Amino acid sequence: MGANQRLRQRTVWLIIIILAIGFGAVITRLAYLSLIAGEDLQQKAVEQQLSDTTISAKRGTIYDRNGKILAQSASVWQVVLSPANFKDDAQRDYVATRLSEILSLEKEDVLEKTKQDSYYTVVKRKIESEEQQQILELMNEVEEKYDLSSVIALLDDYKRYYPYSELASSVIGFTGSDDQGLSGVEFQYDEHLTGTPGRLITATNANGTVMPFDYSQNVEAVDGSSLVLTIDETIQSIVEKHMKQGIKDHDVYNRGVCIAMDVNTGEILAMATVGGYDLNDPFTISKKDQKKIKEIDAEYLIENGYMEEGEPISNKEVDKLLEQAKSEAESLALSQMWRNKAISDTYYPGSVFKMVTLSMALEESVISEKTKFSCSGTFQLYDKGIGCHLESGHGSQNYEQALCNSCNPAFIQMGQAIGEENFWKYYQSFGFSEKTGIDLPGESDDLFFTEDGSMGPVDLAVASFGQNFSITPIQMITAASAIANGGDLVQPHVVKQILASDGSVVENISTDTKRQVISESVAAEMRQILEQNAIDGTGKNGYVAGYRIAGKTGTSEKLSDSNGDFVQDYIASYCGFAPADKPEVAMLVFFDTPLAGNYYGSAVAAPVFASIMGEVLPYLELDAQYTEEEAANVDTIAGTYTGISATEASKLANADGFNVTIKGDGTTVTAQVPTPGSKIPTGGTVVLYTDESSTTEQVMVPSFEGFSLSDVNYIASYYGINASLTGAVNSSDSTAVSQDIPEGTMVSPGTVVTVTFSASSVND
Amino acid sequence: MSSDTLRRDSDRRRYNHEHYSSTGTSSRRESYSSSRPMVRRKKQFSLLSIGKGLDVPFCMLIVLLLAIGITMMFSASYPVAFYEIGDSYYYLKRQLIFALVGLVIMLLVSYVDYHYFHRFSVLILGISYFALVLVLLIPSETGIHRWIGIGDYGIQASEISKFAIILFLAHWGSRYYDKMHTLKYGVVPGAAIFASTAFLLLLEPHYSCIVIVALLTVIMLFVSGIQIRWIAVAAIALALVVLILWATGLLTYAMDRMDGWGKALEYVDEAQWQQTWQTRNSLYAIGSGGLFGLGLGQSRQKYLYLPEPQNDFIFAIVCEELGLIGAVAILLIFALLVWRGIVISLRAKDRFGKLLGIGLTAQIGLQVILNILVITDWLPNTGISLPFFSYGGSSLLMLLFQMGIVLSISRSANIEKI
Repeated sequence: MGANQRLRQRTVWLIIIILAIGFGAVITRLAYLSLIAGEDLQQKAVEQQLSDTTISAKRGTIYDRNGKILAQSASVWQVVLSPANFKDDAQRDYVATRLSEILSLEKEDVLEKTKQDSYYTVVKRKIESEEQQQILELMNEVEEKYDLSSVIALLDDYKRYYPYSELASSVIGFTGSDDQGLSGVEFQYDEHLTGTPGRLITATNANGTVMPFDYSQNVEAVDGSSLVLTIDETIQSIVEKHMKQGIKDHDVYNRGVCIAMDVNTGEILAMATVGGYDLNDPFTISKKDQKKIKEIDAEYLIENGYMEEGEPISNKEVDKLLEQAKSEAESLALSQMWRNKAISDTYYPGSVFKMVTLSMALEESVISEKTKFSCSGTFQLYDKGIGCHLESGHGSQNYEQALCNSCNPAFIQMGQAIGEENFWKYYQSFGFSEKTGIDLPGESDDLFFTEDGSMGPVDLAVASFGQNFSITPIQMITAASAIANGGDLVQPHVVKQILASDGSVVENISTDTKRQVISESVAAEMRQILEQNAIDGTGKNGYVAGYRIAGKTGTSEKLSDSNGDFVQDYIASYCGFAPADKPEVAMLVFFDTPLAGNYYGSAVAAPVFASIMGEVLPYLELDAQYTEEEAANVDTIAGTYTGISATEASKLANADGFNVTIKGDGTTVTAQVPTPGSKIPTGGTVVLYTDESSTTEQVMVPSFEGFSLSDVNYIASYYGINASLTGAVNSSDSTAVSQDIPEGTMVSPGTVVTVTFSASSVND
Repeated sequence: MSSDTLRRDSDRRRYNHEHYSSTGTSSRRESYSSSRPMVRRKKQFSLLSIGKGLDVPFCMLIVLLLAIGITMMFSASYPVAFYEIGDSYYYLKRQLIFALVGLVIMLLVSYVDYHYFHRFSVLILGISYFALVLVLLIPSETGIHRWIGIGDYGIQASEISKFAIILFLAHWGSRYYDKMHTLKYGVVPGAAIFASTAFLLLLEPHYSCIVIVALLTVIMLFVSGIQIRWIAVAAIALALVVLILWATGLLTYAMDRMDGWGKALEYVDEAQWQQTWQTRNSLYAIGSGGLFGLGLGQSRQKYLYLPEPQNDFIFAIVCEELGLIGAVAILLIFALLVWRGIVISLRAKDRFGKLLGIGLTAQIGLQVILNILVITDWLPNTGISLPFFSYGGSSLLMLLFQMGIVLSISRSANIEKI
């Protein structure tokens, strides 16, 4: 083969290799990238080309049932930097200095951020308008000084405000730094409240400036839905006020719980875990806890197992352990503080549960009016003696008396009659074996003897009076509501309505009745028995004059010794509803570990129940109907007696049912005590002043505590002041337990002092 | 013109095997002088050789590619030009000037009798080495030594090398056509030139150019008629080297060193991610184009995502704007150009013309293939420009100069002229 022929031949091969193989490979590769991998690559390209600015959605507002704002988001700003746009270190230093001054940040930290090679870094979030103004000025200044317009930016942000701070804190909950709900309703309804953030999508070049062609899309932010709670701010405030007082009075170690529920709808009118915390500052623990954490020392480390006694470790390690112990103690304190005891704590319901036991017995007709229950002070079950709170024994009682006496032996017998199977059946149907499903996070399960409900005779005996199994307060009040409303177990809930951002109703949460638990007739009988109990049974300290109250006390033993004093801890509770004939509101008052001496539900919880109901029932505009006896103690509203002659004023006051004392030498009444509109006990005294000098006269408030009803009235009139009587005023053995103006205070004559009575003989 | 007439009438085959060195030693020249009449040789080497007229299809393909190339270069470059220089037309204006100058040069060169280059082949090879060494001595901020600059203008040393190697091997292959089957004449000179050039390119470093030079050497030797087994030996040697590198784990190391080659879409570490930025964005651009493209001028990747979209990665923007269809159409035009160039070369009237034409045309094909392999992450990202498309004055001038040589070959080639 000649050289030329070979050249020709080889060139043909060459052209085949280059064009067929080379170009073929290249085209195949391009086809693969643009067709098969194309979608994925395009996606990635688009991701980097599109600048996606999030437009924050405003978080929904939380209202109480009357439209009062409980939680609201307000516009604030966040400061962001685009540090890659800085041109030199002098600019970085200047901006860092100014920003740290305005925003009270460490200059070093800000400087660090100005050195990042990025177009977006957040300097500070949630700054308020004052700081925002200064930042705007700084932005102008930087633009003029360095011709830098895109270094600092202000983005919209929102901050959550809670106008009532501590009120209903465990129900409302709070949000975190990213506006996300962390507890309570804020957490439970986060999805509704959050809304949908909007997006501003623009095509940008690699430097982040907008590309010249039209490629922008604006998706409006949809503000979050608002919530209308079933909570009534007024009732909640009343509840928290009295609960705080109760905690103070009885030196309650482990906080208190009160739930008020509409028995017919399951709406929670108030739910308080007192003491709560300031929702506007949810990460600060109480001063008491702060002090405790500050006091953590080496001894604490040994006691709590952080280290062994005499363990050879360096001071540095001890410091480290101290640090750890402190931080753990703080986390624990925070979680305790945020804990909604009303749904998260379980407790032995104690005697309050007797209302459930009796309902079971009546519904199953295992007892009748003729059934007699005997009590000798203890009940012998095999080799175990179970005591009654009345050591002398209640003797022979029918079931109504047994409940009013809160007699343990009687209820043991009742439990035996019901039997373990039926007990479990009703335990389940009353909703104790499952979570109530209330729309709040962190609800606990009950803890029964066994999961299938089987129990031994001793278990059944103590369960009959509410010991040795644990339920949550919300379960208890839900069961009590079923008894009150005629037998329907309703779903408790705290959200009444979900509103769209424009105010239109998205969803109305209606009453969800789970099942009928007991018949209407048994319920009616239970109402009557519980009312009787509140009138002159062990529950009489929960009585509110003028209203038909039904209720039951409870004192439960706690398994743990929470305060570490090696003395048995108790939970004092009172659960009841009103009006007894046509119940509307049920309430459970619960104090965890009262340390002031008396730990009985009748002494600790019942009076607080009465105080709260005494304010809540009039607020709910339920008409009071007084017995004759009560009518004598009922308060009347003082009229206006000033500006007219003394004689005329006297006539008016007398006509309103008041005694009149005139002080001064003038003819015209210039002032009066009590002031117009205040409540004065019927037959109380109104002091009318006819000249200036006489108004300076003062009297001293005496101590009423320990005195009987009639004594208190006598002492009050002797001192020239009015005593408004509340609490167990119908009971013959009641004595005054507290007064709202302390002894020794100097007041004007005629001032009203509220004196609370409690039946001291009841220890249940 | 008289020499033209003479050549047209003469028996082409007779002269095909004639070798006239322009750069040989004086003694060699003398020895030729003694064997051939001086007068006749001079007639053959007339400077302005009009021949039968240049090959219009080839010329049209060049102009077409240049037109499309400049259009796409403008489309790809105007955002960068706007953002970085402030004048959207910056690259267009310069490229247009170079293209016009280049076309003039091309036409002028097409009038030059390509045999003239015979005598410069060794000299140009010497210049190539000089440039390759010089470029290493020029300080570089990036640590990569590729450009020899004069003010704002510069030329890649490798541009000279590629031409020098083609020219020299065409010269050698036509001169020792009867000895190409031997190791000494056929393989050793080419291998030595390649090895030394590749070594210098390795120092730059300019890996993709090594691949081009290697392929050009093999092509030139192959068509010059060396025995296939030497190519096989070279292939086996290459395979062995790769195998040893792989066995000792040096291959991974070497590949890692090559700017994260082949891993543009994987995140290995920040350094690799930054290094593969350009290749990755090239892939994004190609993928974004799909079948039909986003439309002329509609590329988004050129908005500073793909750095220097006007240079080596211009074809990624072409793919993004014109889609696979546009890209394949352009590749077809390139293929036609290569086809036509080879046809011209095969019809060249002598062996030097054939080899030179094949070398220069093959270079275009190789550059296109390798460029696209680079932008599609099949080869390391190391500076292979796309002929007629990539921005760059010196390389465009060099390219059109070389095309001028092919056109010069076409003038005397035995092909039908329109």
